[in-house]
Amino acid sequence: MSVQYGKVISLILLERFGPVVEKVGAYLFKYGTTPLLYIKKSTNLPLSKVKESLCILIKYRLVTFQANRNENLANYTLQHDRILLMLRYPKYINLIKKKFGNECEMIVEEILQRSYWTASEVIMKVIERLKKDHNKVVTILSLREKFLTLLRAQYLGRLPYSQDDKPVPTLVITEIDHNTPPNIDPKQISLVQSNKATVESLPDNGIYWTINFDRFHQDMRDKLIVNAFTKRFDENGGEFVRLLLQQMYIRTTPWAEVSNPVPIVEIRDIVRKQATHQHLLAFFDQYVNVLEQDSTNLIRKAGDASGGSFQIYLKETFTQFAWETVEQIVLEKFDSKAARIFRLVKSKQYIEPDQIQQLAMIPAKEAKRISYQLLEENFLQVQELKKSSSNGPNKCFTLFYVDLEQIVRMILELCYKTLFNIMTRKNHERFVHKRIIDKKQRVDTIIMGMRAQGAAEEQLADIEEMITPPEREILQKIELTMKKLNSVELEIDETIFLIQMYLVYK
Amino acid sequence: MNEATSSNGEGMNNEERLLELAKNKPEGISNEQIKQCMPNLLLEELAIIINKCLKNGSLELFKTKDKLLYKYKDSSKKNIVRGSDNEEKIVYKIIEEAGNKGIWIRDIRFKSNLNMTQLNKVLKSLETKKIIKAVKSVSASKKKVYMLYDLEADSSVTGGAWYQDQDFESEFVDVLSQQCHRYLRQKWDDANNMGGGPLLARNRSYATANDVHKFISELGISKVSLSVDDIESILYTVVLDNNAERIVASNGSFLYRAVNKFMSTPGLVKTTCGICPIANRCADTGLINPQAF
Repeated sequence: MSVQYGKVISLILLERFGPVVEKVGAYLFKYGTTPLLYIKKSTNLPLSKVKESLCILIKYRLVTFQANRNENLANYTLQHDRILLMLRYPKYINLIKKKFGNECEMIVEEILQRSYWTASEVIMKVIERLKKDHNKVVTILSLREKFLTLLRAQYLGRLPYSQDDKPVPTLVITEIDHNTPPNIDPKQISLVQSNKATVESLPDNGIYWTINFDRFHQDMRDKLIVNAFTKRFDENGGEFVRLLLQQMYIRTTPWAEVSNPVPIVEIRDIVRKQATHQHLLAFFDQYVNVLEQDSTNLIRKAGDASGGSFQIYLKETFTQFAWETVEQIVLEKFDSKAARIFRLVKSKQYIEPDQIQQLAMIPAKEAKRISYQLLEENFLQVQELKKSSSNGPNKCFTLFYVDLEQIVRMILELCYKTLFNIMTRKNHERFVHKRIIDKKQRVDTIIMGMRAQGAAEEQLADIEEMITPPEREILQKIELTMKKLNSVELEIDETIFLIQMYLVYK
Repeated sequence: MNEATSSNGEGMNNEERLLELAKNKPEGISNEQIKQCMPNLLLEELAIIINKCLKNGSLELFKTKDKLLYKYKDSSKKNIVRGSDNEEKIVYKIIEEAGNKGIWIRDIRFKSNLNMTQLNKVLKSLETKKIIKAVKSVSASKKKVYMLYDLEADSSVTGGAWYQDQDFESEFVDVLSQQCHRYLRQKWDDANNMGGGPLLARNRSYATANDVHKFISELGISKVSLSVDDIESILYTVVLDNNAERIVASNGSFLYRAVNKFMSTPGLVKTTCGICPIANRCADTGLINPQAF
């Protein structure tokens, strides 16, 4: 929670919901939980507007409410972490696409766009879209199967609902609700599709489903771990860890710090059945050995029963990842010498400046400069030890050390700042070239309209020439910049995700 | 005449025997010990011989616990001081005692009780005679230490192989570090290409400092000869750069191996802001802002 974070959140709200909602959101971010009239008073917006914004925010589950003590008034709280997740939507969609294919991707996309929806309506919408965009016809039954798959894999969850009739309802959800699949009636859906019945007549009307972000994060976390192990060892090592994580879920809660022991025989059986990684199967024991004996010690043997069982230490894994990330950042931000000093201080915990230059093999002056530069940028900390100076010369030792958590939080701040800067830059580019972008849009709409009317190619070319070559060049340049900024935005989100994972396990 | 020569020859003999005795006992010999070893020597004769030796400097006189001790002194060194005055002798002695660590001019002054100008003169004359030399210390660039001319300065003074003329050769260290990393990486690749499973590959990829030392020596990139310890410290920098890992072998020495990192470059530092040195001064207003870059 910082000023920078607030700014990013404001920008996201502004980009997606407009200035009014942004004002309400920013106010809630700044002042925390507040009732309606306070928001109205401080934002100077008409009551209807405030109500509308709150409705939108509540619909997208960005604001939650709770009854005040007198039970007639609600207090509103901004769920700021959810807002930040909006930047990650493309990643969620991509993840589902890779794992379950196009139809599931569309289901998730539709639900993400609306925040929640009933199963039948999503299915209807997806059928319609598939028909329109891809000219593909799918049956309601097959889509229902897809929807239920997503549900079973817990990518979707039931939206909490109110049971009692109070002025400020409390939203509840039970375990049973999560696990009861919706009643999807293909017959009724086809009736609604052909406008013979109303939407209200669907059997699952009022039962809303929403995205379970936690499940997505779990997948992303696993992918991160597998990728890291693949990078450090090889593909087979990565595959082993993937299976280890997969087997872990059977026995362990997803966010436990240490997995329960997984028998090695199980993993071997899966590898044998899969028959995709022959090398892993052939040298299975060796791989287990190598992974276990690695100096980072993230996978450990838990016992010898049934051919040995292994545990993966997730908390330590992410601590290790966070360390490496910070080291890489030092490397890129400063240079390899700074990274060397940083790692030296890390490995020695507390170290004197003299020792740094000796062990890191860096000239005294440079070592001093770098270490104090790192200190200035808060990557290193200094601990001073003063000997009591009752008599004799005042002796003072300076020791360098690293405080990982503090650095990680600092980097997280920097990530938010970078995000803010990138979004501001995007808006700025758009603002500066507004005229050309608008013109391009106008031309595009005209061309589309004419094409629909069946205009000749010559006419179309004429209109297209309304954009002069220099303008076209600028447009290309803007497009390139935007593309870059967008991809960078996603990259930063990856760093944020990693850091958040570290902080979750912290 | 005959007697004189014989006594003279005997005197020479006695002197040699005495020196031999003193040589064998570097901690010094006492009068009693001399008497024990040379019982037929008269006390007067002994006194003459000792006085002679003390005068030409082949023996030194020490007094410990009210006992007089004679110590042998290498006469080859003493020859240099011949023809010097007493001050030079004293200063020479002080410098000699300091050994290959050298001694600072201020300490000489305290020990010799000579004043600054006189001491400077003495030092200069000794330097021109090539009896002593001044060596610049690496620990403090302006501090000069004096030591005997034919001594090799201690590595704490010169800084070892990594210093040339009191300057740390960081480029040399960098090149060596790169080469060491290259060697380890090569070894790792070779081990992987040989096949035979990951465990075998891993065990094959370990290298000792001796192996790397041999490789570096054969490369011939180093003008100075490097010791295995020097290579150890270079390899440690490779470990610190996170390009290798170090384990302790069963015989207590270190084994090195190239390793991969877990993480690729994080997204943050791929952006301009991630590596911007003035990022913390950046705001949405002011000279440094995201719109102006």
